[in-house]
Amino acid sequence: MYAAIKSATHHGAFGAPVVVEIHIGNGLPGFTVVGQPDEACRESRDRVRAALLCSGHEWPNRRITVNLAGVGERKGGSAVDLAIAVGVLVAQGVVPPETTDRFAFIGELGLDGSLRSTQGIAPLAHATDGTSVVVPMSNIHEARLAVADRARGVESLAQLVEIMKDGVPFPDPPTASSVLAHELVPDLSDVRGQGPARLALEVAAAGHHHMLMVGPPGSGKSMLARRLPGLLPRLDPASALECALILGAAGFPVSVPPSSLPPFRAPHHSATLVSVVGGGAPNLRPGEITLAHNGVLFLDELSEFAPTVLDGLRQPLEERVVHIARARMAATMPSDFVLVAATNPCPCSDERISGCTCTPQQRMRFLRRVSGPLLDRFDIRVSVTRPGTQELMNETPAETSAAVAARVARARETALQRQGVLNSAIAASVIDDVAPLTEAARSVLVRQLENGALTARGYHRVRRVARTVADLRGAGTVDADHVLCALGMRRAIDARMGLQ
Amino acid sequence: MSAAALAALPLQTLSRLRRLVGSGDPEDTFARIIGGERVIEGVDDAVWRAWQTCGGLDRIMAERCGDSGISVTWWGADSYPAELVEDLQPPPVLFCRGDLSVLRARRVGIIGTRTATLAGRNFARRLGRDLSVSGHAIVSGLARGIDIHAHRGAIEAGGTPIGVVACGLDVVYPPEHAREWEEVADTGLLLSEEPPGAPPEIHKFPQCNRILAALSEVLVVVESRHRGGSMSTVRESMKRGRTVMAVPGSPHVAVCDGTNGLLKDGCAPVTAAEDVETALSLESRGSVSAPDPRVRPEGTETTVLRALAGRPRTVDELVLSCGLSVFDAGVVLGRLEMKGWAAESNGWWEALMH
Repeated sequence: MYAAIKSATHHGAFGAPVVVEIHIGNGLPGFTVVGQPDEACRESRDRVRAALLCSGHEWPNRRITVNLAGVGERKGGSAVDLAIAVGVLVAQGVVPPETTDRFAFIGELGLDGSLRSTQGIAPLAHATDGTSVVVPMSNIHEARLAVADRARGVESLAQLVEIMKDGVPFPDPPTASSVLAHELVPDLSDVRGQGPARLALEVAAAGHHHMLMVGPPGSGKSMLARRLPGLLPRLDPASALECALILGAAGFPVSVPPSSLPPFRAPHHSATLVSVVGGGAPNLRPGEITLAHNGVLFLDELSEFAPTVLDGLRQPLEERVVHIARARMAATMPSDFVLVAATNPCPCSDERISGCTCTPQQRMRFLRRVSGPLLDRFDIRVSVTRPGTQELMNETPAETSAAVAARVARARETALQRQGVLNSAIAASVIDDVAPLTEAARSVLVRQLENGALTARGYHRVRRVARTVADLRGAGTVDADHVLCALGMRRAIDARMGLQ
Repeated sequence: MSAAALAALPLQTLSRLRRLVGSGDPEDTFARIIGGERVIEGVDDAVWRAWQTCGGLDRIMAERCGDSGISVTWWGADSYPAELVEDLQPPPVLFCRGDLSVLRARRVGIIGTRTATLAGRNFARRLGRDLSVSGHAIVSGLARGIDIHAHRGAIEAGGTPIGVVACGLDVVYPPEHAREWEEVADTGLLLSEEPPGAPPEIHKFPQCNRILAALSEVLVVVESRHRGGSMSTVRESMKRGRTVMAVPGSPHVAVCDGTNGLLKDGCAPVTAAEDVETALSLESRGSVSAPDPRVRPEGTETTVLRALAGRPRTVDELVLSCGLSVFDAGVVLGRLEMKGWAAESNGWWEALMH
């Protein structure tokens, strides 16, 4: 009269195990789902009932109570359908509990008793602990990403009952059609000119430095940003799986095998706070910053984003995870990404001050939207200019992404061996040890500090960027040239821009 | 401090204040107003009633002036600057920080637009520096753009800047000029007609411009739009029969159409400090321009600086024309910027020739 079946539900960027308890007892015939189910969960009862009847089973005319154990948190989604159906069969004595105990069941049921392809199978399967997982056959490859051979696919409830009751072996999954996602990353060699911005992109990739590009429309800011994933090292299998799980949890299709290309997310500037940082009913969906985990988040037209959204980025940028708390649940989601942002220099966006028709007030109002605490978090702030005729017509082929990526990989390796973290995360307390300065470099910095061109916070950022520049050039100590290069990468939008 | 209190009365206007100050000793006048006496004619009852309630204003003003080191003088007082006594519209009450005696120097006004080009700002700075070296005081408004650069030049050369502003002397506007504000008060003179605490308001600027014009023996406009605020200073200067000079600008640059218009109207052009000295009917002492304090460029820096001559360039253009790597070009430009030979704005580099 009682059954407990293992399943899983979405929770933030990943899944969470859940035990589906079924009790069939005497009383007024009915079917209740308790344990904070969301709308889709509550609808399960109608799907389960139809599926059982269509598969040729009895629907007990008794009082059925379903509890999604783990009372504190909300459960959502239709993935518990299969577990409920199996639970009802076990509680009725149709299927022996000894067999079902060895499995977790995940999948949505169709009214005809077939198993439907279900959103986000990978994170759900990942959340089950050590048991084999039964999933819809159409999702088998996605599930195998997370749990390898522990995943079993079935086509329908009737087929599952045969397997459980009569010991028929699980059917073989169809061979993976190996649909590799189009991994066409645009190549850096497509970009003409833009020397300083290319260099900045290389430094950003090598040191994990956040980067802001300031330039007029048509200067190629987003073209450059889109090439950053191609400069980053490929994801290791664990990170690639993590990204795949996050994609699944957000309801996106997951490629098999998981893409090793660092993700690139570019939300439109109308994005809401919840869509960017994560949240939303009922299971706290991962936001763009979590989807960009291990990759790149690109915010084009930075000044057009709502101020609340930009403020919301500050904590995740600092901690590299985001804590989302709601009244009924809380989730911590990873958000370790390189932030690349682009903006016009002023409302009229004419690149030369002499041609600009904006009043100082307009410029200040415009800059104030992107300035302040968020601006402080960009280690690199470069101006991007429209390429001139000379650069466009230049016949010399530009450097390819592969060549740059090789230098980036070497620099990252050096940094990780030296201090265990990438250069942007060097703590201020150890910067003197890991990024020693030559006398000439020190005097350049002292001069900048003395004439007020550099603040205390800026000083540490410059030293980190200079460390990356030195790493890229294979230097052990940070020289004046490296510091000058780093200083040159924070010229755009300084405190006095537009005010002089 | 009664003069300050008179200036700070609510609903005060320039003409009322002039008549109040003209009617006798300010202390006496202020006491009579508080006592309910109608000291002058043509002022509404409501205004008199408002004024009568301002009993403690002289004490408040004394405190505020004391806190910020502001001194007060008024038309008719012994300390009132002789240079303004005979003016068409002398300010009735004048607040100042610094030394009033610096007004005895030869005074050149340098003004212009707030949205100046890099070239304009640099020229203003250089003119301020050169004229300071030859002993002139630089009069300007401490506004953004041309004004502040003229004063920066004067401060660099150790000269005497004279700032005329449109708000209270304890209200720094624009706020980012706080440092220059102090330096002007320390090394020269800061003047305002407005009592301490008065915010900058749009209608005060033209009135402030007339004082600036009155104090400038020669007025140099570096860059200004046709309808810019500098043109009101030019008109005030002309009313007073002062020499107005303008710096020629490129016809392609919008912020130069005002100054170029002045030149078309027959204004004398300024391309160097000597031109201003000639206008002051001084003997030009030839090469008086300040020795260039900058460290000379060396090696590749010279090549890059030469490539920058003529027009602004992007780093990409320099990379192509000088055959440097992007990294080296960035480093060399960084050095040039640090030495003061080049400046960048929105990705474009300009040489700062002397």
